[in-house]
Amino acid sequence: MVGPTASLSNLSRADGSASFKCPTTGYKILGSVNAPVELPGRRDALKPEEATVEVFIKPGNTTAGVGERYVEGIIRTMLQKLILGRERGFPRRGVVITLAIVGGGAIARGDSYLTLLPSLLHTSLLALLSGAVPMSMTYSTALVAVSKSNVIISNPTLVEAKAASSLHVLAFSSKGHLLLNESQGRFDFDTWKTVQQCAHALCRGVDLPEVDGDIAMEAQGDSGTAEGFVRETVENHLYRDYAWKIDTE
Amino acid sequence: MSKEAPLSIAEREFILEALRQDSRLDGRTPDQFRPLKISFGDEYGHVNLELGNTSIIVRISAEVTKPRDERPFDGLFNINLELSAMGSPAWENGRPNDVESSVTHVLDSVIRHSNALDTESLCILKGVSCWSIRADVHVVAYDGNLTDAACIAVMTGLQHFRRPDAVVRDGQVVVYGVEERVPVALNITHKPLSVTFFAFNESKNIIVDATLKEEQASEGELVIGINNGGEMCFMNKFSGATINAREIVTRTSVALEKVKDLNAQIDRAMQADLALRAKRGMAEESRAENDR
Repeated sequence: MVGPTASLSNLSRADGSASFKCPTTGYKILGSVNAPVELPGRRDALKPEEATVEVFIKPGNTTAGVGERYVEGIIRTMLQKLILGRERGFPRRGVVITLAIVGGGAIARGDSYLTLLPSLLHTSLLALLSGAVPMSMTYSTALVAVSKSNVIISNPTLVEAKAASSLHVLAFSSKGHLLLNESQGRFDFDTWKTVQQCAHALCRGVDLPEVDGDIAMEAQGDSGTAEGFVRETVENHLYRDYAWKIDTE
Repeated sequence: MSKEAPLSIAEREFILEALRQDSRLDGRTPDQFRPLKISFGDEYGHVNLELGNTSIIVRISAEVTKPRDERPFDGLFNINLELSAMGSPAWENGRPNDVESSVTHVLDSVIRHSNALDTESLCILKGVSCWSIRADVHVVAYDGNLTDAACIAVMTGLQHFRRPDAVVRDGQVVVYGVEERVPVALNITHKPLSVTFFAFNESKNIIVDATLKEEQASEGELVIGINNGGEMCFMNKFSGATINAREIVTRTSVALEKVKDLNAQIDRAMQADLALRAKRGMAEESRAENDR
């Protein structure tokens, strides 16, 4: 299977930026982060001790509507908890994340926005990392669909997602904790449990037994997982950035 | 409202003094554009344009809608430009600013009102259905001369875009998918582009394609929209210092020369891309093996 592709710091004016392409859904997202910036005219909304996180999604060929506002809300609440907004220079300032959908089809009115959510989350994470915004942890996300015959499809295509009986987006922190769960459709708890295991395997590799508390260290940073992908992308970028230093050593 | 970081006095003086001696910060002549780079995305009408450090993505899309009641023979065409914090930290998401309204005004006048896209050809069935063409302009990085860059990008997108074929059969509108019938190009009547001039030193120095720093140091601007045939479709002297009438006449011929050159560059980029697509499409068709 072809994995996703991403590149970091490709915009000149933004503090941090990233582009991300998801091969199964075909979406290509361009993300930028400006942080910390002044947010004038919003004095009342600013919190005195924390940074304000703002997320803005710009659809490729429609005007932003209810769907975008809804996903913005999900991403904002999640990132607000991860970004260390009390670091020096951040309180009373803004972390402005702008995500533009620059490739792939438009989401028609009434269609699910969950297919787009993992790409948006990955792009914002990569952009935040490229902008060196302090965060308490990183994360990885996966989209899982459950078909009408109760078959679990990991990384579904748009056609599969449309036909599915339920759609799930799960995000796991770098320590393996569940950070976000957005589900849509009809399903029972057992199905959700298997979905969760499947998503965990997609994000972080083999599911580890927790009974004896042993953690297999080799499983960490496994390439092919969503988390491994984020790590590899950032690592490659750092190698390129520090080529001058590595060469002189 | 946020603002771009202003020029320091020394920087401004440097730019002005350099122009007095007929040179620019990046070594261009007054009538020279920055290198223009046009590339295309996977789908038709997706243009990535770079003019120096200014970078723009344009996506053209089409959908079938009902025409307006007062114009049953006309299709719809809209240019949508929304500046976001991606292009420049000084722009706030979801809040229109001065740059946005002025660029939208120029784009509308030069491309839409000059009828560069023949909207009558977008009509499918009188008063019932027509194509609505939408051009979305995403400004990805801003380093001056947004107007001309956006204008070039939208015109390139319109020429590159292919809409699905639609026919009327027994009073029913049938839209064919891209696989069923070869999609059709839009009907472009002429190819107007805008050229923005910036004036310095009591309008003694007038330059094209200013960078952000030059724009900040300028005294006034002049926008000329003109097509390959030398027909002027837009002229505006928005604000700032006065420009001599004779100067405007000479600038018009400069603009014509620039537009001819830019249109040639657009054509070259587009022919290269279409040739590539034709080859790829052919390879797909003539492949002996199949997916099984």
